[in-house]
Amino acid sequence: MMLQSTETPASILQRRSACRGSFQTGIVLLGLSLFWPGLVPANPVTTENVTARLVAERMEVAPGDTLDLALVFEIRPGWHTYWRNPGDSGDPPRIHWSLPEGVEAGPLRWPRPEVIPVGPLANYGYSERAVHLVALSVPAEWPIGEPVHIRADVDWLVCEEECIPESGRFDLTLPTGAAVGPGPIDPLQADVFAAARAGLPDGRIEGAVLGVTDALLGLVIPSDGLPEEIDGAWFFAGEWGLIEHAAEQPWRLADGLLRIDLSPGAMSDEASPEGLLVIADAGGEVRSYEVAAVRGPLPGAMAPDGPIELPLAFLFALLGGLILNLMPCVFPILAMKALSLINGLSGQGPEAARERVLHGLAYTAGVLLFFAVLAMLLLALRAGGAAVGWGFQLQYPPFVVFMAYVFFVIGLSLAGAVTIGSRLMSLGGARTGSGTAGAFGTGALAALVAAPCTAPFMGAALGYAVTLSWPLALAIMLTLGFGLALPFLLLSLVPRLARLLPKPGAWMETLKQALAFPMFAAAAWLVWVLSVQTGSAGVALVLGGLVLLAFGLWLRERTRGLHSARRRWVLAATSAALVGALYLGVATDRLAAPTLSEGEQSASGLASEPYSPERLAAARDERRPVFVNMTAAWCITCLVNERVALSTADLARSFSDAGVLYLKGDWTNRDPAITAYLADHGRNGVPLYVFYPPDGEPQVLPQILTRDMVLSAIRSSTSGSSGRDG
Amino acid sequence: MKHAFPKTFVVGAVALAATLSFGVAVAAPKVGAPAPDFSVVDTAGETWSLGGLAGKKVILEWTNHDCPYVVKHYASDNMQALQKEATAAGYVWLSVISSASGKQGHVSPAQADDLTDDRGAAPTAVLLDTSGDMGRAYDAKTTPHMYVIDPEGTLVYMGGIDDKPTTDQADIAGASNYVRLAMADLAAGNPVATPVTRPYGCSVKY
Repeated sequence: MMLQSTETPASILQRRSACRGSFQTGIVLLGLSLFWPGLVPANPVTTENVTARLVAERMEVAPGDTLDLALVFEIRPGWHTYWRNPGDSGDPPRIHWSLPEGVEAGPLRWPRPEVIPVGPLANYGYSERAVHLVALSVPAEWPIGEPVHIRADVDWLVCEEECIPESGRFDLTLPTGAAVGPGPIDPLQADVFAAARAGLPDGRIEGAVLGVTDALLGLVIPSDGLPEEIDGAWFFAGEWGLIEHAAEQPWRLADGLLRIDLSPGAMSDEASPEGLLVIADAGGEVRSYEVAAVRGPLPGAMAPDGPIELPLAFLFALLGGLILNLMPCVFPILAMKALSLINGLSGQGPEAARERVLHGLAYTAGVLLFFAVLAMLLLALRAGGAAVGWGFQLQYPPFVVFMAYVFFVIGLSLAGAVTIGSRLMSLGGARTGSGTAGAFGTGALAALVAAPCTAPFMGAALGYAVTLSWPLALAIMLTLGFGLALPFLLLSLVPRLARLLPKPGAWMETLKQALAFPMFAAAAWLVWVLSVQTGSAGVALVLGGLVLLAFGLWLRERTRGLHSARRRWVLAATSAALVGALYLGVATDRLAAPTLSEGEQSASGLASEPYSPERLAAARDERRPVFVNMTAAWCITCLVNERVALSTADLARSFSDAGVLYLKGDWTNRDPAITAYLADHGRNGVPLYVFYPPDGEPQVLPQILTRDMVLSAIRSSTSGSSGRDG
Repeated sequence: MKHAFPKTFVVGAVALAATLSFGVAVAAPKVGAPAPDFSVVDTAGETWSLGGLAGKKVILEWTNHDCPYVVKHYASDNMQALQKEATAAGYVWLSVISSASGKQGHVSPAQADDLTDDRGAAPTAVLLDTSGDMGRAYDAKTTPHMYVIDPEGTLVYMGGIDDKPTTDQADIAGASNYVRLAMADLAAGNPVATPVTRPYGCSVKY
């Protein structure tokens, strides 16, 4: 053993002197080393992008002791080297040691990295200078006075946007001293080592939990070891695949726990839940902690995630359902149903009461069934990998056309222009005693026309629901449906309530005819929606379809009571008209969406910049107020809001007066940065309006936006305090 | 009172329209789920879509000829050999260039064809995804970044080409090529044993 260990350094020395023997060869090799830096040892190694060196902290090492080495990269400005998990691309430096027998090198240590955004991606790495410490131990039996020669072959990747793999071979000779204990510090290297130690983790935090929900990973960390006032937090995943590296990481402190919401990566179930937590305290000082989390349910109060909690979501769903009864697209149908109930009251006795109850229950069942089917469809699509939101069915132009037809025909029927067969009539509720099937159909119809109305009231609750496990999501949807069905159910179950309704009379016919107009208005609106989805060609198709439909129904109406043989021809013609109308509707699917011209988009008159997390963060750092508008070309509400709320001159003025930065995120096509931003706010769709006052908490504005809401948000932030109470 | 009706109507109308605010957007691709569709032209100006490849096995290779990690696999003939092996086994091999105009790896159709000839590459087609739409739909992060799609259109593999994330050609010999393993699993009728790995390489230059 002893012999071997003394022999090895000597043989290395021999090789080195042999190498030095030819001075010329050395020069040639040195020249080559600029191109193939791995060939010949050098220290430092200088490449186009990096000057790298391997240095020791102390001028000599005692046998049996350990000393720290530093692998130092001085990096060209704008270029980067990488952390142990490089993020979306890149590669960490790798080191291969050639050490004398008995001498051992520890692993490379990784100072705190930074997040380096690269387009939509993000890397974890270093700018300007990266220093990796390595502990080197020399065996106790090493002969004193015999220097230790070590060699390290290092490969590293350095990138600006382009990447260059580089490598170097480093030789280092360490004298051994007789003194017991560490040798004298090399004063030339003291700064490097001090800076390197400052970048190493300040400690290790135990007891962190990583919990999975459908859409997010929640990391919950006990905050007792952390600075008291936290100004910023970021979790660097130690392994690729655990999280989306580029996604925002909203965090909050509550009850002695720090919670960070992470977007799961491609291997979030398999990757090790460890990494580095970086915290900036109120004084701007940055610390980092190693975190090895345990997977499991999130503790206590932190468990429910998202901006609203579970019971509240159910309450909102129920309230939202109740409100739906008043929507212009639902109210006429319910009003008709209520009228039928009034008529039904004329029948007294247990038989009539039983029928009312049956009607109420059938109606509720109809509503719930429709909501259940829609919810299942939504959840199935979600499971299939498509991110869809409530109301997704209206993304499909033929469905919009179909809905326009439905509203138009109901309108015609209410206005008395056509009489639709008794079965459809009962949908409008014009007749009593049409059976529980009719009531069931009314329920389904009410839900069908109500679904489009849910979004503005239910945005938050549904956005929350789709992040839940499917039974909970289904329960929320059904609660919404139950809210819709509730008033009518109560009326039919409690006759005393029904008696409060006004007495039947001629006014009912007037009301019925008047209610045709909200139906026509809804149809007109849908045609406009279609014009945005498919352009004028789609409008031509749907208008043609409406004419065909009206003609068919008129023909049918005029020939009522004709001889049956001729009647059959008429019915065939009516059916042909109906089929033609449906064909025209389906044909709209093949029309491409018109692209909104730049002029139309910027009709607001407000100068906007495209949203990016970096731009937002930069403006926040400057304490500049920011208004974020997440929009999409296919989002009609967004366009309406931009016209109604965001296009006035005084708004443009108050934006510029207050120095508000207007950031617009276009979600027309999928954009992970925007999807992440929406998810951070518990949403799965646009529009989303967020106002960031110069200081204080960001304020989420309603989806149906008015100019006054925007103005008051800006004013309350400029007129002082926190800007929370708009 | 006068304004009551229009206001109600506007609110109702907006409410109705708000449905459109919830759009269908394709989420991050998932192994075991349908692969995202795309519609991108190749160097000959022909449009390729996943829908048009129904019933075919497809391999997608994100590439950037100037990226050292891509160079590793082309200079060693490793990628070309894999392309020939795959197309012989009935795969449609699409090399995708998502570099934006002016960024590294962006090429004209003619340059792309020259690259294919010079390197003796054998993809079925080279797609020019200059807008980056296809790259974003697939969440392509690096060059190379590999995807394998089965005949049903299901994504069965996404990740690195092999398990040696270096630029050293010498590492190819001892590496496990995940694409080749996925092809073998598919050929044997087995589920792909390693369906997701870390893609390694340069970032895609969106």
